[in-house]
Amino acid sequence: MSVKRKGPKATMVRVATYGVLVLVAIVVLFPFVVAVTTSLKDNNDIFSYPPSLVPEQASTVPAAQLGLDGDPLPTFTLPDRDGTFALVGRDVPIAEFRPLDDLERVIALDPAAGEKTGATIVIDGDEEDVFLIDVDGDTIEAYRSRLTSGGEFVNVDDPTDVAIGLVNLAVPAEEFGPRPANFTEVWTDKELGRSLSNTVLVTFAVVIGQLVTSILGGYAFARIDFKGRNGLFLMYLGSVMVPFVVLIIPLFQLMLQVGWLDNLAALIIPFIFTAYGTFLMRQFFVGIPKEIEEAALLDNASRSTILWKIMVPLARPAIATLATFGFLYAWNSFFWPLVIINSGNPEGRVLALTLSTLGGRSSTDINLVFAGAVIAMTPPILVFLFAQRYFVENSASSGLK
Amino acid sequence: MAAVTFSAVTKQYKGDGPLAVDSLDLEIEDGEFMVLVGPSGCGKSTALRMIAGLEEISTGELRIGERVVNDVPPGDRDIAMVFQNYALYPHMTVRDNIGFALEVAKVPKAEIKQRTEHAAEMLGLTEYLDRLPKALSGGQRQRVAMGRAIVRSPQVFLMDEPLSNLDAKLRVQMRSEIIQLQRRLATTMVYVTHDQVEAMTMGHRVAVMRKGILQQVAPPQELYQRPANLFVAAFIGSPAMNLVNATLGGTPDRPTVSFAGHTLAIDSRAIERYPKIVDRIGGPVIVGLRPEHFVMEGDADLPADQMMQLQVDLAEAMGAEVHLHATLDVAPVELEGAPVAAEDGDEVIASITRVIARVEGIHTVMSGERVTLGVKTHLAHFFEPGTGDPLR
Repeated sequence: MSVKRKGPKATMVRVATYGVLVLVAIVVLFPFVVAVTTSLKDNNDIFSYPPSLVPEQASTVPAAQLGLDGDPLPTFTLPDRDGTFALVGRDVPIAEFRPLDDLERVIALDPAAGEKTGATIVIDGDEEDVFLIDVDGDTIEAYRSRLTSGGEFVNVDDPTDVAIGLVNLAVPAEEFGPRPANFTEVWTDKELGRSLSNTVLVTFAVVIGQLVTSILGGYAFARIDFKGRNGLFLMYLGSVMVPFVVLIIPLFQLMLQVGWLDNLAALIIPFIFTAYGTFLMRQFFVGIPKEIEEAALLDNASRSTILWKIMVPLARPAIATLATFGFLYAWNSFFWPLVIINSGNPEGRVLALTLSTLGGRSSTDINLVFAGAVIAMTPPILVFLFAQRYFVENSASSGLK
Repeated sequence: MAAVTFSAVTKQYKGDGPLAVDSLDLEIEDGEFMVLVGPSGCGKSTALRMIAGLEEISTGELRIGERVVNDVPPGDRDIAMVFQNYALYPHMTVRDNIGFALEVAKVPKAEIKQRTEHAAEMLGLTEYLDRLPKALSGGQRQRVAMGRAIVRSPQVFLMDEPLSNLDAKLRVQMRSEIIQLQRRLATTMVYVTHDQVEAMTMGHRVAVMRKGILQQVAPPQELYQRPANLFVAAFIGSPAMNLVNATLGGTPDRPTVSFAGHTLAIDSRAIERYPKIVDRIGGPVIVGLRPEHFVMEGDADLPADQMMQLQVDLAEAMGAEVHLHATLDVAPVELEGAPVAAEDGDEVIASITRVIARVEGIHTVMSGERVTLGVKTHLAHFFEPGTGDPLR
């Protein structure tokens, strides 16, 4: 793609390419956006219909604005009326009238309103009196469909504009209202802080351990000629093919005997040895020209100097890759902690475990679940953003020729 | 500074494999510029790497100075090597590359700086000291590799085809720089190349190797004028010596050599150099004629019985000289069952021997023209068919 093409056709192709890319990006990003916005929503807002991406809360006006005392008043928009209305009173008696020329329309009025004409009309087999009512300055014929109770509304911009109506027909007014308290709640109430520090500790130890063992092992397999090296390497590589589920029971037994059940050590020690990482490092080291190492040997550098001062700096892309994969694996691991950490021991939980208890079957705090999920997925995203430039970089060959 | 001595050094890679180096005896003197040359697979690089300690010695003894170094690790041999691909540390600046050995040796920082800068100045690298290798040109990388070697003031420099990755012009320039550098430092240098021009122009002495066996060690001129065998004769010189299967005839006083319908009288001075010729009259011989042993008719005063007519297939005017390519209807010369020319990678046709004549001056010769050439048979070489030994 390094050749730049020109002309209208090329422009079209480029526009189409970017269009497709943007579309795919939107599809991929959408779940993240939902997670982030949901984590900032009030629990009621999550289940409101129609759903919205933006966190919203019921809007209110201070009572003083309408010359009243007390709590802030919720606001609504009313059918048939312009403007925003505050609900100032409940259980106000209401009479519902339906105009004869439009039986679907409901007009809520004071029960004392309206004037009987004396005429009657039959609706659904019942005989009803016909009233004359005033609506917006017009006098129309209507019948009274029922007597009920509702709310009294006052226009927030004009306290003289008063309306009555059914509260459930009024649409609550909403405004942008993120709820960052979700995060502090999940942090303190659900002990997410402790889980996070456990996870950080475990992940750090696993990544460092994996790097050290993989670098040492990979270098030995790549460059030190010892008897049975290739056979050993094949066996080692073969262990990648063994699925983890097969290992759970023997590993559990082992942890039981070592005494690491319900202990973070069981989440760290078994995972600092990785055949995959050793393989990755070996492949990279094999690709580094032998002459570079021979030059260092002639410079009287020891094996460890060669490894840490020459090979490791050259292997930065492989190390970044391995560290990222190790990080993601350790950070996201769920099943093994579930097996090894007792459910009655919240002190020993890692993030994935805590999240699963938050989101249990009886959970109602969806917003807290999402807040926890956002906390859990932020570090991996940051790590990936930081490490991704190394994935494409390869500097090992540039010192030659 | 030290001498390097091979005593019956042999290298066998696998227990029963062929010998990469076969019982090599070679003494490289203190301060000498020794070039190891030969076609690929001749064992020259293996010999060099054995000096470096990068290859184990199967049998025999290798000494640097007075010390037997068979089991001395590379770092303790006090030698420096320049690799074909330079093997610079890609993640280090030029300064760190040059100073790395000193840093490993825990030389004080100030001294490292001073010595690094001195080496860089010698090689004209001062302004590039803080660059990474990838920001340098091929020639500059080559110099950094040399700087890394000279900063240590080692006993012996080893160079493994250091110029083969450079373009032709730069190669000529670096060639003279290396010669001057060696002269100035007066350090023993062992230089491996497959390019016989480099071998001829650079070394005090040249060791020609083939299939693990040392063929001849001699100063370049001697190698050219008195090749020890057919292989050296064919390998040294560019264009290569014309080697032709021929028959000796005439009388012991006045021997002749015949091939492909041509008969040439052999000058008596050649008989002084190759006295066994007279014993072989009537028998086969391989005659070696260097391209410059031909002259255009009239350019030199040669007797008529040293003239031959050739049909020129191709005439290349080089300016000061003309190269005339021709073919002779005679089977190509073989060494151990394979055509000699094939070892250089030339294409070989079974029944034809290609010859090149290099005649001085400006001659307008058209391709396809027949020309009469004089042959300086007093300079010719004669070898035994089959063994390739010289007839002396």
